[in-house]
Amino acid sequence: MGIDVDIIFKIAGVGLVVAFLHTILDQVGKKEYAQWVTLFGFIYILFMVASVVEDLFQKIKSVFLFQ
Amino acid sequence: MFKLIGAAIIIIATTWAGFEAAKKLSMRPRQLRQLKVAMQSLEAEIMFGHTPLKEAARKLSKQMAKPLSSFFDTFANRLESGETTVKEAWDDSLKKIWQSLALKQGEFEILSQFGETLGKSDKYHQQKQIMLTMAHLEREETDALDRQGKYEKMMKSLGFLSGLLLIILLM
Repeated sequence: MGIDVDIIFKIAGVGLVVAFLHTILDQVGKKEYAQWVTLFGFIYILFMVASVVEDLFQKIKSVFLFQ
Repeated sequence: MFKLIGAAIIIIATTWAGFEAAKKLSMRPRQLRQLKVAMQSLEAEIMFGHTPLKEAARKLSKQMAKPLSSFFDTFANRLESGETTVKEAWDDSLKKIWQSLALKQGEFEILSQFGETLGKSDKYHQQKQIMLTMAHLEREETDALDRQGKYEKMMKSLGFLSGLLLIILLM
């Protein structure tokens, strides 16, 4: 459980900083960079979430499919 | 413990880089203004003082602030050594000082074009050239002020925030 809480904080931190970066870049009129930053932040978080979900699937598999 | 020290170092480094970029943005309009003042004094020396070029350059090097003063100082020295044309001396001292100025390629072209006309004609023609250079510098200054207002704050916060992002990613 400890790892899960850690990862949630990490996602929250990335989200916060990326949101700030997006706002600042948007304000000075660099919309395209702002969108790229947001996209990369999103992809990074997606990978982290994917690894967590993969853990979950493994657990479900080990519970229901006796091997 | 080591993690915290590393995080602090990363934050300091990126914030410093951001402030350095912002400083370069704010130096450009100031140096352009100084250049304009230098042009005006040069015009005054030529039109009213009838000063020879090397003495005028010597006087300007005393009047101007730091990076520009050493430019005019080098220029005066090159002229006094007397082995080059004015254009070569101007170009050489411009190239020598260029690294410590926060100006762009466009300004370099304007100044080196001005150097080509320097000392070649009578004083009225010279005054016209100075006026032309002043007009160019004026235009560049509005551009520089515009960019400063737009990007200075962005650079500062961008440096800090990118450091923060890097730390979170590496944690």
